[in-house]
Amino acid sequence: MSPAKTLHIIKQEDFDRLLAWLDPDPERAGLTYEKIRWRLVAILASRGCTCPEELADETIDRVARRVIDIQASYVGDQAIYFLGVMNNVHHEYLKRPMMPRLPEPDDNAETKEKTYFCLEKCLDKLSANSRRMIEQYYAENKRAKIDLRKRIAAELGIGLSTLRLRALRIRDKLQTCIEQCLEMEAF
Amino acid sequence: MAENHDPLHESGSRDFPDETIRRFLFGRLSASEQPAFEQRLFADDSLNARVRLAELELADDYAYGRLDNAERELFEEKFLVSADRRRKVKVSRVLRDRFASAPVETKTALVERLRALPGFTRPAWRFAFGVVIFILLIGTVWVVVKKEPRIKEEITKRWVRRRSPAPTSPVESNHPTNRSMPEHQTSPSPMPVHDQTSPISTAGVSVSLTPATSPDSSNMPSVNLPKGEPEVVRLQLALKPDQPGPYRVELLTGDGQSVFSTEAIKAADNGSAQIDFDVPARLLKTGNYQIRLGQDNGGVKEIVGSYYFRVQ
Repeated sequence: MSPAKTLHIIKQEDFDRLLAWLDPDPERAGLTYEKIRWRLVAILASRGCTCPEELADETIDRVARRVIDIQASYVGDQAIYFLGVMNNVHHEYLKRPMMPRLPEPDDNAETKEKTYFCLEKCLDKLSANSRRMIEQYYAENKRAKIDLRKRIAAELGIGLSTLRLRALRIRDKLQTCIEQCLEMEAF
Repeated sequence: MAENHDPLHESGSRDFPDETIRRFLFGRLSASEQPAFEQRLFADDSLNARVRLAELELADDYAYGRLDNAERELFEEKFLVSADRRRKVKVSRVLRDRFASAPVETKTALVERLRALPGFTRPAWRFAFGVVIFILLIGTVWVVVKKEPRIKEEITKRWVRRRSPAPTSPVESNHPTNRSMPEHQTSPSPMPVHDQTSPISTAGVSVSLTPATSPDSSNMPSVNLPKGEPEVVRLQLALKPDQPGPYRVELLTGDGQSVFSTEAIKAADNGSAQIDFDVPARLLKTGNYQIRLGQDNGGVKEIVGSYYFRVQ
């Protein structure tokens, strides 16, 4: 398969049918779609693909075009079907000539400044406790990581693993918030 | 943003320890582990959630320099292959720049390394180490005081420049009020000609900067470095009223690389609501720069102001 043949543009009707197959509720279908795509990318990256997002989209594209044939008869978790199709896409990818990965351009000063701006904005949206936890958790230095976390956990009366989970969940929300903010800033 | 609890701990996803998740992200699962992990990732929302958090943690570890060389290579080669992950690293970096305090790292690292030395805690080693330090100290003092007036003068000059508030007028600069160390003002030492300058005249170039929220290229103050290559460029940072400090001041390039920083700087005593930040001129190249003014607020590092300028 040549790289050119992998490039399809998913038709709107196929995409709508795919979402309806994933879940009758459009909002839940959208979330399921995102979750499946994220898993595809994670697995393809773990398998050593240099362009996991491209292959994940190719997988979704193929599934979307097949839904019309399988939706009446398919039984089971739809997500697993994606895994099977992804294996085929990955198999074809391995036969392609390996393309060198191009270095990613560094962010320019303006983009960085926007990211800092969005961080401040998103920090302001956190509750006081969450903000304090993030400030303490991320104040650490690479050598002082364990000591600092032990101190924070002791102050909060929680274990280290609970502290880690709480901090990372807040970090996850910050990530989402900052990405949304940057999208808004781009317009 | 609300923070909800989800029962990651009660989940069966604990069949895969965190170490396995990390190896999955590095593309280092064995041929037998990989399919089982993939199947589970698709079927188990809690494992999915743990992998997402592990991605964030790995991005943080990378940005904070906690990965060893091998992990770092794996990270760049195997992990950093999607736009989503690159965005995570970007946020990790701004979190690091916003909250982390680099100088503490150096001190802690030194103490930890010393503690890790074999037998360092034994009394005999401690005594020997103390004797070595004492001899070095005595030797250094002897060299400075008796043998090298030039070194003495240089140290004095730097001390004055760092500790005393900056003179604000040429008169003050030539007649400093610091009476405790007048030698270098009254008795010139036999140093080479290019070193025979007072602290403020070594600054050579100074520029006043006011806080800004973002770099405005059309209105950015600029510094022209003269051909004589001054030793120091003095950046006078305007402060908001009633902010005596102390401050941590950091100079960064336009693309966010840290160039130089100074701790514990205080506002000038003359009530001018500014601090003087002396930067070695050799560190400055043509381009845009940012200065971040930070303050320790009850143990939390806060950025209280940003300044921008251009070197031409």
